Amino acid sequence: METEASTYLIRPKHKFKAGVAKEFMREILREGLTGVQYNPDEIPTLTRSLAESIKKKLKGVGFERYKIIVQVVIGEQRGEGVKMAARCLWDADTDSYAQEIYMNDSLFCVAVAFGVYYY
Amino acid sequence: MIRGFHDNHKGFYVHNRKNMDDASAEETAFVVDEVSSIVKDSIEGAIGGNIYQQNRVSMWTSNVVEQCLSQLSKLGKPFKYIVTCIIVQKNGAGLQSASSCFWDNTTDGSCTVRWENKSIYCIVSVFGLAI
Repeated sequence: METEASTYLIRPKHKFKAGVAKEFMREILREGLTGVQYNPDEIPTLTRSLAESIKKKLKGVGFERYKIIVQVVIGEQRGEGVKMAARCLWDADTDSYAQEIYMNDSLFCVAVAFGVYYY
Repeated sequence: MIRGFHDNHKGFYVHNRKNMDDASAEETAFVVDEVSSIVKDSIEGAIGGNIYQQNRVSMWTSNVVEQCLSQLSKLGKPFKYIVTCIIVQKNGAGLQSASSCFWDNTTDGSCTVRWENKSIYCIVSVFGLAI
C-alpha cells in the first residue's frame, strides 16, 4: 500500500517581514497614484492593477511558504468619514501583515498585505 | 522511522496524510454561501438600522469583525481567517476595493459582502486559508 509522506515545517526559516513589505507597498502606491485624480471610470482598473503589482512584488521578495493576500481600497476625498478594520484568526508566531496609506487632494488609498504561513 | 526530526530544518515527516481525503470534502472546503450568510448576519446585528456617527464607527467596525470571526471559528474548519471591514459614510463619494491573492486555488477562498442602509456603506471581505 502506497502512502505519501508530507513535510510539515512548523516554523518558517524567514518570517514575513512587515517592514520590508510596507516599504515596497509605499513605493508602489506612490508611483501609481501621484498626480492621479479620482475618476470613476479608471479607478476600478487602477485599484486592481495596484493590488496585482503589490502581490507580484511581494512574491518576488521570496517569503518562502507564505500565502499572500493584498487588499487595496481607493476612495474619493469628499470629506466623508471612513473607517477600516481587520481581525484575523491565525498563528501569531508565523503570520503577519503590513499596511500603507496614501492620500492626495482627490483620493485616498489604503493597502494591506497579509502573509499567512503554510505549514 | 515513522516520525522523526530531519537534520537541518525543523520539520517532521508524517505518513498517511492521505487519510484526510476520506473526510467529506464539505468539512474542509471554503463554502462561500455559508460564510456570506454569517457575514450578513454579523453586519445586521452590529449596525443594522443605525445612522452614521463618527464617534461610534470604531466600535461598529470592531463589532462587525469580531462577530464574523467568532462565528467563523465556531464552524470548526481547519482554516485561518482574515476578515476586513470598511464602513463609509454616504455622501456621494465613490469607493473601490480590490484584492489580489497568492494562495492554493483548490482549498482557499474569499467572500466579499456589500451592505448599505440610508447613511452607511459597509464592505466586508473574508479570506479563508486552509491549514
